[in-house]
Amino acid sequence: MTDKPVYIGGVGIISPLGSGIAKTEKILRQNRSTIEPLELFSLLQGSPLPVGQVHGLDEQSPLPRTHRLAHIAATQAMEGCIRPPDAIIFGTTTGGILTTEQLLRANEHKKELYRYHGLNTVVSYIARELNCTGPALTVSTACSSGAVAIGMALKMLRRGQVETVLAGGVDSLSRLTYFGFHSLQLVDRAGCKPLDQNRQGMVVAEGAGMLLLTTVKPKNHHGLLLGAGFSCDAYHPAAPHPEGQGAFTAMQTALTDGGLTPDDIGYINLHGTGTPDNDLAESKAIHRLFTNLPPLSSIKGASGHSLAAAGAIEAVVSTITVSHDLMPANTGLEKVDPVLGFTPLINPSERSTNAVLSNSFGFGGNNGALVIGKAGIFPQPVVRQPCRGLAIHGYSCLAGAGDTAAAIDRMQNGVSVAGRAAADVISKNLPPRLIRRLKRLPRMTLSLAAGAHENSQFDNQNPGAVFMGTGWGALSETHDFLSRLTDSKEQFPSPTDFVGSVHNGPASQVAIMFGSTGPNITTSGGDYSFEQALFAAELMLDDPAGAALIIGADEGHDAFSPLFDPSVRAGSTLADGGAAFSVSRSTVGAKCSISIPFFKSGKGDGVVAALIDSLGGDISLQNSCALVLAGIPAAGRREGELQLEQFMTQSKLSVPVVHYRRLTGEFASASAVATALAVSFIETGGIPGAVTGKRDIVIDNRINKILVLGLGQYITVLEISRL
Amino acid sequence: MNKLIEELKVKLIDILNLQDVKPEDFDENGQLVGGELGIDSIDVLEMAVMVEKDYGIIINNQELGEKVFFSLSNLAEHITKNSSRVSS
Repeated sequence: MTDKPVYIGGVGIISPLGSGIAKTEKILRQNRSTIEPLELFSLLQGSPLPVGQVHGLDEQSPLPRTHRLAHIAATQAMEGCIRPPDAIIFGTTTGGILTTEQLLRANEHKKELYRYHGLNTVVSYIARELNCTGPALTVSTACSSGAVAIGMALKMLRRGQVETVLAGGVDSLSRLTYFGFHSLQLVDRAGCKPLDQNRQGMVVAEGAGMLLLTTVKPKNHHGLLLGAGFSCDAYHPAAPHPEGQGAFTAMQTALTDGGLTPDDIGYINLHGTGTPDNDLAESKAIHRLFTNLPPLSSIKGASGHSLAAAGAIEAVVSTITVSHDLMPANTGLEKVDPVLGFTPLINPSERSTNAVLSNSFGFGGNNGALVIGKAGIFPQPVVRQPCRGLAIHGYSCLAGAGDTAAAIDRMQNGVSVAGRAAADVISKNLPPRLIRRLKRLPRMTLSLAAGAHENSQFDNQNPGAVFMGTGWGALSETHDFLSRLTDSKEQFPSPTDFVGSVHNGPASQVAIMFGSTGPNITTSGGDYSFEQALFAAELMLDDPAGAALIIGADEGHDAFSPLFDPSVRAGSTLADGGAAFSVSRSTVGAKCSISIPFFKSGKGDGVVAALIDSLGGDISLQNSCALVLAGIPAAGRREGELQLEQFMTQSKLSVPVVHYRRLTGEFASASAVATALAVSFIETGGIPGAVTGKRDIVIDNRINKILVLGLGQYITVLEISRL
Repeated sequence: MNKLIEELKVKLIDILNLQDVKPEDFDENGQLVGGELGIDSIDVLEMAVMVEKDYGIIINNQELGEKVFFSLSNLAEHITKNSSRVSS
């Protein structure tokens, strides 16, 4: 816990405006649009739509475009730093999809070629390049991803366990997003003119923005990250709340978080996509929050909308505003829409300002707002950063064997539940109209969320926040979108599948079902996705009375799982499932507690010793631990087994170890199912010998915790304890 | 026209996955979008794709879309007037 300010020690930016802060500033001062017809990939028919594309990338690189963009921005942000960052958090929605699209079209089946498909591979690649062995996290909340990643970094720094975090957002152009937004009729063929009376929509773009954030005052810095706010509209999968309710909450929360009032804000960097609905909803939210409107503008008429990167790119632009006295113009504006009730900056302004509010809103009504300001102006607010640990009040799980009762019963008897849950099981108790457009992953997620909530005692209190981890997202929707695109020769892409393909789609459906308007965070960290969702929940669930849901789920997909998931062999029987937990900060009436004390690269020096240390040391562990549930993904078997052996030797633990993937099967969020099993043991007060092959274990006041260890590329531990 | 309306009912049930709806449940003059069936803006886009694919008519602006998809009979009328693939 720290009350030190969070400095922006370095910035990196690559966008259609150019690479680096100097070029970006130059174009913004010129008030020039860089939007142009698509050149990056060829089209089967029709003329190219306008986009914002980055030129001059190394086209010989074997890495996907998203990874290359991230590398350029990260290198800029880290310039002059010798020490690696303690943690990295990126927001991305595209990962390696552009490369995947090309491979699929070439009918390529070599798994090795798809190794950079996953969203988490971007942050893992950068962590490797920068020698960062700390947490490397990926959030995917559609177009607010970059802002949410930066906001999460702020919360992490305030907790005081890290001193530097590299945070940002990145996305490349891809067929999925190019045709996807086109299928929603959201693209303006004439280029993008936010806030204009004749605005017809957005323009899809690409890029990366990064901030090196630190609580150690650097010699030179770009200002402070003062506050962050998150919210969810809980209204519609793709359209914003018509009154801008979620936008208002995110902005208001960001100001409160930074200890600022609306009058402290000297400029608003709007989300301003140029779609009729977004700009109108955002204007309503701004009028509600601000009595005296500060100067404001959207830069998307100059740069286009780079999706997950946009919030981070605009955070970097906000540092230019506070440090270089430049408020960018609302490029492209011809005639302001009188309905909006304000006029944005027609020309760039050189007025100085102490604080900037930067807005980012995304599909699923997922909102993030950041406040960036000058150092030494505002008093440092006393922020009560929540402590570790959450109380579990209810849970549910799904596995090949069926629902919670069926799966837990079998696992408690040491029997495998691996497989794919039947279609009627994953849709059980869900109204047909609610799920008619939803495919496998969102159905599983809704069913898990409803089950966990029903299992809790929160009869009159719906969850306010949702944290979801998924390794691969909605594979059926992604597959079907790309297939129909190819089959129809790019003529009839499906708007329904595009909306469903975004990683945060399932969590936003949960928010709509429960009216959850608090933070709605989807993490996608490969085999550690559920762990990352719990990590985010521990950081962000700051309402002491509020309930939340933490969910981990993945679907097994015939075509995609064997191609993408390194642990799924071609021809093997697919497994999927997940689990959900109804949690709060209050332990009254709870079943047990859960926390994630450790998340680090599996390759760091002394990582196992640090893991034991995070659990209170070997003696404490020996005196309290009942069972280790170990998760070694098939792709990391050798590495994971070695780590497990070192852990058991160094901790001198003599408790049974259960390899939970033997029970659940291989899928990214298997650890969520293992956690449900651990909760069931604590709830029933013991671990049957049938699971461990040894004698029954009683869980009491002394022997009171179960560890869910994640091993392999990263080492993570979840501590599930009796209260 | 009636034949086309019946054809459209079956198509909508299929593309919008209206599992609990039967063709006779549609009121062809009733409000199609935002009405009882829970059809929203994403469905409108999916219907627009179907109209383009099956009848060769492009509906790509909101104003026109609102008129055409107001009811099933409006949709059938628009298709009849504009498509060379339908005989009225």
